[in-house]
Amino acid sequence: MSRARTPVTDGLAATDDIGWAVRLLAATPTHEHRDPDLLRRWARAADAFGAALAPVECTARTVEREGGLELGLLARYTSRPPTVELFTDTLALAERVVDARGWRDWYPPGSVRAAALAHEAVHVHLHHGPAKAALKRALGHSALRLGRLRVPGHVAGAEEVAAHAYARTVCGLGRSPLLLTAALAAETGDTPPPARPARREN
Amino acid sequence: MGVVILLVMAAGVAAMLTRKLPTAFALVLLAVVIAFLSGAPLTGENSVLDTVLQEGAPALAATMVAIILGSWLGKLLDETGIAGTLVRKIVEFGGDRPTVVALGVLAVSALVGTVTGSAPAAMLAGIIGIPAMVAVGVPKVTAAGTVLMGIAVGVPFELPVWQFFSTALDLPVDTVRGFMVKLFPFALVAAVAYVVIENRRRGTEHAWSLRSVSARPAPRRERLGDAPWYALLAPVVPLVLALGLDVAIIPSMLAGVLYALVTTTRPGEMNKRLLRTLYGGFEVAAPPLALFVAIGILLAAVKLPGAVDALEPLMKAVSPQNPVLFVLVFTLLVPLCLYRGPLNVFGLGAGIAGVLIATGIYPAVAVLGMATSYNQVFGVADPTSTQTVWAAQYAGVGPQQVMVRTLPYVWLVALGGLCVTAAQYL
Repeated sequence: MSRARTPVTDGLAATDDIGWAVRLLAATPTHEHRDPDLLRRWARAADAFGAALAPVECTARTVEREGGLELGLLARYTSRPPTVELFTDTLALAERVVDARGWRDWYPPGSVRAAALAHEAVHVHLHHGPAKAALKRALGHSALRLGRLRVPGHVAGAEEVAAHAYARTVCGLGRSPLLLTAALAAETGDTPPPARPARREN
Repeated sequence: MGVVILLVMAAGVAAMLTRKLPTAFALVLLAVVIAFLSGAPLTGENSVLDTVLQEGAPALAATMVAIILGSWLGKLLDETGIAGTLVRKIVEFGGDRPTVVALGVLAVSALVGTVTGSAPAAMLAGIIGIPAMVAVGVPKVTAAGTVLMGIAVGVPFELPVWQFFSTALDLPVDTVRGFMVKLFPFALVAAVAYVVIENRRRGTEHAWSLRSVSARPAPRRERLGDAPWYALLAPVVPLVLALGLDVAIIPSMLAGVLYALVTTTRPGEMNKRLLRTLYGGFEVAAPPLALFVAIGILLAAVKLPGAVDALEPLMKAVSPQNPVLFVLVFTLLVPLCLYRGPLNVFGLGAGIAGVLIATGIYPAVAVLGMATSYNQVFGVADPTSTQTVWAAQYAGVGPQQVMVRTLPYVWLVALGGLCVTAAQYL
């Protein structure tokens, strides 16, 4: 990761890109109780996989719309029909957050939109091609071992880490989009839905 | 007087629909008013205090014990990591293919649905299952619906439900079991069709979500690890005993509790874990227990001789006797079990079922067929039922969205159940 000059480094920026990837994996269901070292190993592998991906073209239709802040989304890919939605209100907030935090060197003007397109392009790529199996191999997780038989296991969240690493690389960002995501989460006060219902009858 | 009782029932439904009164309170109030309108004395034989309240309240006691045991087993599945391990393994094995993961979560939900019901069942399968499905690309509404459809697959084999219908409709457990076995294939086919069709129609969805990372590090949680493979069979134990070996419901469920305990817990920790999960189970079971007390009271009220005499001519006039008409009418009436409507089996519907049996309009087993068919709809698509509300909100969508997506499938399940009922029991 190359940096022309060091922008303002606050509490969020103090965590490195792999650290954010570890946090993403840790927050992904099925990993709640995993060893942090294992998560770090997976985060590194997924990050390296995404960063090394050859540039892929986004073949899906792109649409821009409002309402991302309400949904808590910056971009979304749906496969039927293949469409990438870019949420303009979240993108605008992201640009403001970048300025407010002094991160412009890391995220040049317009780069968030480009990163969103690149991020979703990887999802399209992984959805339609053989790259998903390659990511699984890169992670090296086994769902089952019986003697010499080994069934490779899926690591939930790894695709997301790879997509962010790819976006960082092809858009020439100074830091992972995950850092910006964390800043946006802090800005919007977005919290996950409660796991327990507040009111129950039957 | 029959018309007045029906108007009172309609007022009760309105109070439940508008949430002016919790369902359990509304049912007790309805029962007392119906009893007075039926001319029941305050005390003595067929009276408000002695018959409706005193005898009605514990009438479904066996169901309540089964509910407590189911909740206890559910708590154990949660605390010992059995439910979490099942979902985790499914994601690890099938994560490349969202439909496979969804089918796996459907299977886990069905297993959980045989043990316990309502929101606790949805939580057991959904707390990990819903976000895990979303993480592999299953759209949110499909993910919430998958857990609910899965629980509905398990419901025909949910032992507390057998006990409820057996006690409430005064039928042997064998008869209830016999019908449930016939209802199960409809629930299974509809659920698998839901997962396959909806995943095909909606495809996959991946989002750059602001919730994917938090500015605050996640709190460290106790590391449970995976439960051993043989412990994963715990949800099946009560079912195998009750369905395969004809063991009674309560001992079957106790065996499930013991199996989950001994396969996951060191001997020195067993007492503490048993007691902790039992008390936790009471907390989970409190809402259905309150409801079953109220339903017992309502059933006692609508079975009073005065109520039966008043309602019989009215109910006879509107209840179709022709099998084809029976299927047609009651299939069209399916939406009346939604939104705490009058055909909700865990509400006023139980009272109506009681009236249909007490007045002799339909044989009890036909009412069983009708009630269990409606239960399959209510348990999945009712936007006011706690499991639907919880699953939808946890997935980040509206309960109405889940209702719209799942209703066609569960409506067909009800149609199937009603066809079997008409063909065999009318």
